Parts: sequence; C-alpha cells; structure tokens
Amino acid sequence: MPLTTRVIPLCAAALIALGVAGCGSDPEPSAGSSSAPAPASSSSAAGSPATDSAGAAPTTATTVSANTASEEEIAAALDDAGVSNADRWAAEVVEYRPYPADDPDLTKLRDNLAKYNPGEETTDKIVSALTP
Amino acid sequence: MSGVVERPGARTAVGGALFVRRALIALTVIGILGTAFELATERHWNDLEQLIPWAALVVLAAATVLVVLPGGRGVTAGRVLAVLVLAASVYGVITHVLVNLDAGVLDHRYAETWDSLPLLQRWWYAVTKTVGPAPTLAPGMLGQAALLLLLATVAGPAPRTTGTDEVR
Repeated sequence: MPLTTRVIPLCAAALIALGVAGCGSDPEPSAGSSSAPAPASSSSAAGSPATDSAGAAPTTATTVSANTASEEEIAAALDDAGVSNADRWAAEVVEYRPYPADDPDLTKLRDNLAKYNPGEETTDKIVSALTP
Repeated sequence: MSGVVERPGARTAVGGALFVRRALIALTVIGILGTAFELATERHWNDLEQLIPWAALVVLAAATVLVVLPGGRGVTAGRVLAVLVLAASVYGVITHVLVNLDAGVLDHRYAETWDSLPLLQRWWYAVTKTVGPAPTLAPGMLGQAALLLLLATVAGPAPRTTGTDEVR
C-alpha cells in the first residue's frame, strides 16, 4: 500500500480529534482546586501590624492564614486590604499552597504571584493580609 | 523464493525506512522524558486539571510500547492512544490561552483597561503570553511527540518484517 494512502487517513483522524478537543475544552481557567480547603483557623489579628506600604490601606488590617483559611475568608481579607479582584487572587493563593510556616514574608507566594505581573503594590497588599 | 522478488535497492530502502521508524520512536521517547522533566520543574500538579498532561504522558508511553510490540500487534491501539494524546495536547494549548486571557485583568499594566481592550487584542496578548502565567505552546510538546509516534507507525516496515524483505 502506498505511503500516502496510509498517511491521509491518519491526518484526517488527527484533525477530527483536534476539532473535538477544541469544542470540548473547558473555558474555565485554572482557578485552582477551590474545593473548600481546611476551614477556619482564620485569625483576624487586628492587633498584628500588617503594615501596608500603600497609603490607601484600611486602618484595621485583617490577616488570615494562607495555608488554612478558606478561599472566601482569604478573599474577604484581601478585599479588606484594598486588593482589587480579591476573589481571583484568593483562588491563586489557595492554588499554590502549602506555604512554609517559617516564612512570614510568604516568598513562595510572592514568586508565584509574580507570574501574573500584579505589580509590587498589589503583591504587598496581598501578602500584608496573609500569614503562613 | 516462493513469490518473493528482490528489486535492486529494495533492501537499502527498507533499511532506511526502518532507521527512520526507529528514529521517530526514539524522538517520541525523548519527547516524553523532556515533557516529564518540564512538568516536574514547573510543579504542574496544583489541581486536577494540571494532572492531565501527566496522564497523557502515561498514555503516550503506553502507546509507544504498543507500537514497538513485535509483530505489529499493537499498532492500531497505539495510533488511537497517540491521537488521544494529540487531542489532550490541543486541549492544553487552548486551556493555557484561556488561563492567560482570564489573567489579563490581574496584570497591573492592564488592570484598569483590560475589559475595554478590543477582543482581538486581548486574545493576542493571551496567545503571546503578554499577560498571564501559562506558556501557550508548551502543551504542544505532547502533541509533537504523539505526531512523531503516529509517523513512526506509517514510516518503515512493521516489526514483523525483520527477516526477509518482501517486495510486491
């Protein structure tokens, strides 16, 4: 059998597969496995400084654990800290868990957030609302 | 000779085709290993969707084994699996573009203007990874390896023709 007659059906099958894959793609971005991580343990440490470099930060900062707080709790904390798109950032925080407990500056989170190019101010706001 | 006719140069042609087939399979294996390394360094396991390429790698490895089975018994199954991996690869490229598209609003350069940008421009930024974290064509590595394996199944003689070369 000539080579071309064997290649053509294969290419056709591949094209069909590509079409099917394109139609069936899930348009949902990788918002992380937001399947309700460990609840609670959200510490609203009003006393903790959580100093925000940006002057627009609220007066009483709420910090929650990046490791154990729920996505909703993180989103609320980020919102309190003046972070726009707080729910989106909360999903990213959850996605890149776990964070080392001995790194209060959340370097791992900063590194991962940098891939989104959020800018230094936003990164600082996010980290200021979180503890490991 | 029982109906077997040797044409001048036929043995050389078959040998060359066999070499190409083996080279394609070797490239497939290299592609599998390279993709696995890349996925591992990217820690591509943060959620269930990120495990898809790992599953595709396993499928592609199985397809490779099927293709090299003696007697050519697994060629058809190998092709089917390779096409599945190809589809997974395309799915990955599309997903990466969508992730970048969705991340445009998180980029501080476009946070205020993202939604007002023309749709085509947003897509272009997503495809070119101007915004977002996902390397757009990286999943294409899987597809390329799958294509190489598919080509290996049509290039050169099947494994059963190792002894005498039959030329019709």
